[in-house]
Amino acid sequence: MTDQDTRSTQTATHSTERTGSTDGTADHVLEIRDAEVSFEMDRGVSRVMDHVDLDVHRGEIIGVVGESGSGKSMLASSMLDAVVDPGVLSGEITYYPEDGEPVDVLGLSDRKLKRLRWEEISMVFQGAMSSFNPTMGVREHFVETLEAHDDDVEAGMERARELLSDLYLEPERVLDAYPHELSGGMRQRALIALSLVLEPEVLVMDEPTAALDLLMQRSILSLLEDLREKHDLTMVFITHDLPLVAELADRIAVMYAFELIEIGPTDEILRHAAHPYTRALLNATPNLDAPLEEMRSIEGAAPDPVDVPDGCTYHPRCPLADETCVADDPDFRQVDAAHEAACFHWEDAAEAVPFTGVDVDADPQTSITEEHR
Amino acid sequence: MNWYLKRTGQALFTLWAVVTVAFVLAWNVPGSLVDHMVDRIVQNSNVDPEIVRESIESRLMFDPEASLLEGYLTYVSALLEGDLGYSFVAGQDVSTTLAEAVPWTLLVMSLATLGMFAISLALGAIMAYREGSWFDIANTFVGIVTTSVPYFVAAFLLILWVGYSDAPILELFPPRGRRPPRVDPGFTVAFVWGALRHAVLPALSYLITGYGLLALSMRGNSIQTLGEDYVRVAELRGLSSRRIALRYVGRNAVLPLYTSLLLSIGFMLGSSVVLEQIFQYHGVGYWMYEAIDATDVPLMMGTFIVITVCVVIATFVADVTYSMLDPRIKSGDQGEAY
Ligand code: SF4
Repeated sequence: MTDQDTRSTQTATHSTERTGSTDGTADHVLEIRDAEVSFEMDRGVSRVMDHVDLDVHRGEIIGVVGESGSGKSMLASSMLDAVVDPGVLSGEITYYPEDGEPVDVLGLSDRKLKRLRWEEISMVFQGAMSSFNPTMGVREHFVETLEAHDDDVEAGMERARELLSDLYLEPERVLDAYPHELSGGMRQRALIALSLVLEPEVLVMDEPTAALDLLMQRSILSLLEDLREKHDLTMVFITHDLPLVAELADRIAVMYAFELIEIGPTDEILRHAAHPYTRALLNATPNLDAPLEEMRSIEGAAPDPVDVPDGCTYHPRCPLADETCVADDPDFRQVDAAHEAACFHWEDAAEAVPFTGVDVDADPQTSITEEHR
Repeated sequence: MNWYLKRTGQALFTLWAVVTVAFVLAWNVPGSLVDHMVDRIVQNSNVDPEIVRESIESRLMFDPEASLLEGYLTYVSALLEGDLGYSFVAGQDVSTTLAEAVPWTLLVMSLATLGMFAISLALGAIMAYREGSWFDIANTFVGIVTTSVPYFVAAFLLILWVGYSDAPILELFPPRGRRPPRVDPGFTVAFVWGALRHAVLPALSYLITGYGLLALSMRGNSIQTLGEDYVRVAELRGLSSRRIALRYVGRNAVLPLYTSLLLSIGFMLGSSVVLEQIFQYHGVGYWMYEAIDATDVPLMMGTFIVITVCVVIATFVADVTYSMLDPRIKSGDQGEAY
């Protein structure tokens, strides 16, 4: 064991004592502490992710929801230490393998980081359609990945074929094809297979279904559910589509203005969202039963990364905002055992921002599902 | 298959069109073509004009007195038999003259093209990887400057350089002619080496003035490709940077340059008329200039047709190889390559 490993174990133990959207009880696979991404820009330093603390439990599906530009893609990239230049990631990210010592992700050498990525934590990108090299066959993408990680190519390709058929694709046909010969949905599934070919423990997905039609999104979600069970995967599902992820996720984390503002079990969030923004977001999600003119968007504009409001970042748009909100940044408050929200007045939120479209008495999972259809 | 048929059809049509245009031009040369030639020959000798006239008419590819259609048909059927007529300037059949000249022009062109692409692709890719560095900035500047120099100016400068250099350099890069004197043609080391040495300066004239634009396009394409999602995903998948540079960035950045390749082939063939004159390099371009200078119509038509055939073949080859490089082409994803 190296010095670095010892140090990371210590910091990890130390940091579990902190509060925030964290809890010491569950078996964690990833712990993110005080993660921050900033860019130097002409107009000043722009912080596109601010003090995010998050625990990912082993074997869960956690949905990270936010509007575009809320910092959720940064959070996804951070988990693999893959924030694109010139973004600078700081903070602590600790990965706990099933067996073995905790890994300090941001302190890894290039060689070890290469091993961590794809072998332990894998990722499916937003630009799924363009994640394949257009001048190379699909098979070669699998082979080169196995070779790059000194894996047994034969056994690896056997796994690939199994993954592909688990995803309801004809393995040989897909492997023999060029990326452009596959439909959007097929390419997406092939990409998921590619991301799982080295048997990672964690799969991070950044808007994996954004470009697909509703039917295809739906079928991919159910395939993901199956994959998780079969491979004991932990999944982080990043999306702007709250109803979509609500069907799949065990827990939901909501991001607003580059910060995490609420986290809790899916049911809890859907029924008793405690942060005014989450409640507004739930109200704004398209309800297909409602006439079009009743569709609402959240009032006000999402904040500028260079000029984030002081205090609670949501105060310019929040109906509950008072002087405290303008002056101070709220910490996470315990709403329920596993439910936390970063809001001074969360107790009043339900009254101030009543749910409009969602039938709260019905089972939230099904009601959301129905709406989405 | 359909795709090849279409391309072949296009190539054949182009050929036919060129042959016809060549004929129409020749047919319409102001004044009597034959009179013109007879005058020219008689001026320099005291042969009986009538004998000259008969001899010329017997060697023409068509009877200038016949109807347009008749003339056209005789001409085309002669062409199909490989008969391009008789050249007075060269003193032999046009087909013989050109068959002997074409390889030399192709030698210069292939040297220039291969060298230019090798240098430009490598340079452009390195510049892209080091975007914004002094290496990038300096090369961008040099590239723009050299691109704005005409090839014939480069040719003169090269000749000057060789002329003022020491004997070994002059010996190495002869500025005149196309093959070493006193060496028998054939696949001997001495002959091939000599031929290559003679081709260097003309090829360099193209290369120096042409690589810049190509390198800059390669640089731009590479920078664009480096920003593609698939490059980022490849990095995360842990592929070696060498593999990413070659298979991901290089391969995809080269594709759009195929257009430039085609354009440069056409450009070089056209420019060979001037360049081969400068270097007294007896290739196709040299003969075209001589033909124009002497109003040697059969030779003019012959060089015109041969140059077009070369362009058509080059285009066809480029087309076919493009479809090998870019798998999207044949299934009609993008329709046309360029
Ligand atoms: S802290 Fe204040 S401004 Fe922020 S969400 Fe809560 S009530 Fe609104």
